[in-house]
Amino acid sequence: MKECKICIIGFGAVGQGVAQAISLKKDIIKDKYNTNLKVVAVADSSSSVVSQKGLDEELLVETKELNGNLKDYPEHSGKLTGMEILETVDYDCLIEATPTNIKNGEPARSLTLKAFDDGKDVVTSNKGHLALNFKELMDAADKNNVDFKFEATVGGAMPIINFVEETLSSCEIESIIGILNGTTNYILSRMTSEGSSYINTLNESQELGIAETDPTQDVEGIDAACKTVILANAILGIDATYSDVEVEGISKITSEAINLAKKEGYLIKLIGEVSQDALKVSPRLVKQGSAYDLNGTLNMATVKTDLAGDVTVVGKGAGSLETASAMITDLINIIKNK
Amino acid sequence: MRMDLILELLDVPGQLVSVLEPIGGLGTNLVTVIHQRDMKNKRGMIPVQITLEGERNNLNKVIEKFKELNVSILEIDGIVQKENISTILIGHIVDKDIRDTTDKINELKGVYVNSFDIKLDGEDKSSALISIEADIGNKKLIFDRIKQIALEKDLLMINEV
Repeated sequence: MKECKICIIGFGAVGQGVAQAISLKKDIIKDKYNTNLKVVAVADSSSSVVSQKGLDEELLVETKELNGNLKDYPEHSGKLTGMEILETVDYDCLIEATPTNIKNGEPARSLTLKAFDDGKDVVTSNKGHLALNFKELMDAADKNNVDFKFEATVGGAMPIINFVEETLSSCEIESIIGILNGTTNYILSRMTSEGSSYINTLNESQELGIAETDPTQDVEGIDAACKTVILANAILGIDATYSDVEVEGISKITSEAINLAKKEGYLIKLIGEVSQDALKVSPRLVKQGSAYDLNGTLNMATVKTDLAGDVTVVGKGAGSLETASAMITDLINIIKNK
Repeated sequence: MRMDLILELLDVPGQLVSVLEPIGGLGTNLVTVIHQRDMKNKRGMIPVQITLEGERNNLNKVIEKFKELNVSILEIDGIVQKENISTILIGHIVDKDIRDTTDKINELKGVYVNSFDIKLDGEDKSSALISIEADIGNKKLIFDRIKQIALEKDLLMINEV
């Protein structure tokens, strides 16, 4: 029986989802891939726990839910930061789930580079460092001959990066066009069905917990732009960074514009587009009844290929366990290759 | 061989004759002409259906000649040569000279603004849906022109995917 020792750095919704998913799936992974998953360290922004014997995933989540940190967990180690954990703990794979930082990509960038330098594999859900430093990270992973997986960064549970790489490997990819942000899709869908104004719909989304208290990242297209640039690099091999994306959000969309579009059989959606000619996020007109006619918080992407024509994928773009599902799939792919 | 064309003519005297005149000179024969002056389309133009007979090369020369004469061809052998394009603009559309916006789009060859549906939202900003008819293959050119106008006039442009 092999063993895979895991560090989870970042223990918000995604980190907790990963712990839960490991708890739910570790027996199946043991049977199917002859590998025992063992969480040896977890850190959030204010606390950390370490045990080489392995931590109890359910208890980690319960403790975090009760107190908002991990200080009451029996093996609580107090002051160790994420970086200190990577320096001191014996592990095989870093699950990096810290919040996205589009200014400088930290702490994800430093944590990831540190793990690579130590010859460790990394699975991440973090978009910031990938959108800013994609090439640097990939080069470092290659140099150290380690695996670096980031399916969860684009579209949460919607399969796209692994899907194109593995399932569409016979095809050349011409473009990817899709709805890459669930919050804005929810807002535009509600504006369309209710005829409500942008600001009222945003308020409603915030009350429902769909939009954040500070919704800038979503409504100004920043989140979708990060995903667009990751797809450009990972799938189309375009050496681009966040500042190369032309970004326009949805905050200027009026209910009148939505009604005018509706009258002509169109919907307005926030669309990310990646091709050799375009790298942009902007509100676009899509035909009612087309693949882009997707409501609520769902994400979708249409991949234009040379051999297979257009292939469209749809899935849940956010959520704790949904995002974790993509990270566990990445982890399994790493285990399978060992 | 035969070729069916649908042309679009202005409703002014002499238009039909000026279009039919080059046909014989280019080695093709006119088989039929269907011209109904009272059947105008929404642009106020008259669609004229003609069937020609001749060698392929000569028929192609007629097409080239029509293009040279700026005769609008709607269909060739049942294949539509025009497409409809929609776009939305949001901003100070009226204040920023709506006539000028339309003219700048119409300046493009084979491009025609069909309608400009504008809604005011109670404040000074408005939303408009522009429907454009254009020769097939001009989409990018049109979007580039509208993008340029939108940049100049600080308007938000929402294009088709």
